[in-house]
Amino acid sequence: MIAINYRDPKPIYEQIQAELRRLMLTGALPPGSRLPSVRELAGQLAINPNTIQRAYRELESDGYILSVAGKGSFVAQIDQLAEQQKKQAVEAFRAAAQRLRALGLGEEELAALLAQEEQTDD
Amino acid sequence: MIELSHVTKTFGGAKRALDELSLTVPQGAVYGLVGSNGAGKTTAIRHITGIYRQDSGSVTIGGLPVYENPSVKSRIGYIPDDLGVFSGGTIKELAAFFRAMYPRFDLQRYAALRDVFRLDEATPLRRFSKGMQKHAAFWLTLSMRPDYLVLDEPVDGLDPVMRRQIWSLALEDVAGYGTTVLVSSHNLRELEDICDHVGIMHKGRMLLERSLAELQDNFVKVQLVTEHPLPQSLHVLHESTLGRVQTLILRGEPQTVANELAASAPMFCDLLPLSLEEIFIYELGGTGYDVKNFVL
Repeated sequence: MIAINYRDPKPIYEQIQAELRRLMLTGALPPGSRLPSVRELAGQLAINPNTIQRAYRELESDGYILSVAGKGSFVAQIDQLAEQQKKQAVEAFRAAAQRLRALGLGEEELAALLAQEEQTDD
Repeated sequence: MIELSHVTKTFGGAKRALDELSLTVPQGAVYGLVGSNGAGKTTAIRHITGIYRQDSGSVTIGGLPVYENPSVKSRIGYIPDDLGVFSGGTIKELAAFFRAMYPRFDLQRYAALRDVFRLDEATPLRRFSKGMQKHAAFWLTLSMRPDYLVLDEPVDGLDPVMRRQIWSLALEDVAGYGTTVLVSSHNLRELEDICDHVGIMHKGRMLLERSLAELQDNFVKVQLVTEHPLPQSLHVLHESTLGRVQTLILRGEPQTVANELAASAPMFCDLLPLSLEEIFIYELGGTGYDVKNFVL
């Protein structure tokens, strides 16, 4: 479920965080569902439990998950978070497009870039 | 908590195998002990497990001295780098011995782990391969439910499946029962996943001891191209230049470093996290133990 890339220089807790975030935002882990316990994940991935705890802690302070004492961690109602992220991404995309235009890229070239992106996405 | 305080040990000669070594493994931590060859890792471990007696200083576990203290030692699971002591008997005989020596030996756990290791319990250990002897040692040691797990280069010679299996079992114990682990290894890549604390030894001393999170948050590697001088406030540990690209190893929080560097208006600036291997090499480089640029 969670893939750790050992060649990625990013710290493991950030990778775990990013993977879980991806699973939650795509709905693979829907709001209300229980996340694997720290112990389960530590065993499954052979990763230090404190590292996993750290990833969970940061996800909680970012509002992605909720911890219930004695019961575990659950996915929060993140629809709004997803909306917000989408907005941010769209803004970043607009800014990039404006810069490219300023650098002399035409409408067609931009469209071609987008089409290329779609292809590599699959 | 495992604590060594100013421990010195000599073996007859003038050379100190351990030279005022201090080391602290917090309760429930997974501590990676790394160091140059001959730094004294195994000697330190043999003090922690009560095999050697220090010349001076103190060695305590949970506040109690270890040497000649059976009640403390019965809570330590120890896998030495050389399994000679294990090879005399069969697993069955050794399990009976462990049951007698370690009051918390758990027969249920022993039976459950049978499916994991799948070794013949009636074959003398010396007929097994080195890797399989290690499997047997882990089987017995995990069965005694240790509060402290002390491992000296534990996964050397284990195949990738077994390595992962072993770490997965050990880390579940850490998460489930708060087991404290000390592991010595040269495989820094692997330690990065397993450990939350690291100690780097050199010549019988502790060079640096930190939590891994602290190390990751406080060291950063920067590659940059700039025509302006760098701000004085930067704490540069190491610097090298290749063409116009400068590579710096800096001490400091990545975000702060990035802000400070922005002041020198770099044409190109890339912040990279530092791997444990790089930290090891730069720290030891400071002591003169480094890779020489040498052409034969």
